[in-house]
Amino acid sequence: MKYACLVYLVEKEMEAMSEIEAEACTDESLAYDEALRRSGQLIVAQALAPVETATTVRVRKGKLTATDGPFAETKEQLGGFILIEARDLNEAIQAASRIPLARRGSIEVRPIKELRPSVRRIR
Amino acid sequence: MKFVFLIYHEEKTLDALPAKEMQTLVDGALDYDEEIRRSGHYIVSNALQRARTARTVRVRSGKVSTTDGPFAETKEQLGGFFLVEAKDIDEACAVAARFPPARLGTIEVRPVQELEHS
Repeated sequence: MKYACLVYLVEKEMEAMSEIEAEACTDESLAYDEALRRSGQLIVAQALAPVETATTVRVRKGKLTATDGPFAETKEQLGGFILIEARDLNEAIQAASRIPLARRGSIEVRPIKELRPSVRRIR
Repeated sequence: MKFVFLIYHEEKTLDALPAKEMQTLVDGALDYDEEIRRSGHYIVSNALQRARTARTVRVRSGKVSTTDGPFAETKEQLGGFFLVEAKDIDEACAVAARFPPARLGTIEVRPVQELEHS
């Protein structure tokens, strides 16, 4: 089964790290991505740019509106995600607990939903 | 450049849709996947199960704590995401706006951050 590990953190805390700390944090994160790749669990891992770079898009009655900034202003922000393959939720939680940023932030582990096309569409 | 589309919607709104309408939405989303695959924008996408199926994991002082439910209880929930390739954020937003469920929810478009070893 596939699981999304959503990494939430306080951006301000990340920005407050010294350069050495930040580099160590990045190296550790990349090393863990590599470990997941070797164990065959990694599908994709991606860090996100800070929320201030986000644009929020809505379409209502065919009209597009785009506003600067993230969808929600929150104390903690989504900072990245790791999509993994795991046997079950317990294995996914174990993998999530080894994400280096689990020591600083929170990891939401959520199963992926496979979308099934209707018969009409298969034809 | 790579961007993510974070799809937020009210799960209640989706749960209230008649089955036929829901299936039209799913078919539309699958058609959209194919369309942006053909246009070269697509990298990966996934729908997520309902927020109540989530567990939230934290590690403090070497100790793992796990709680049931999503990280944040909000009116609207993350329902899925796309990772796409686009020239710039304007192109990314234009692609995002074509996602059929954009009519019901909200899409946050955010550039990725490439991590590099020190």
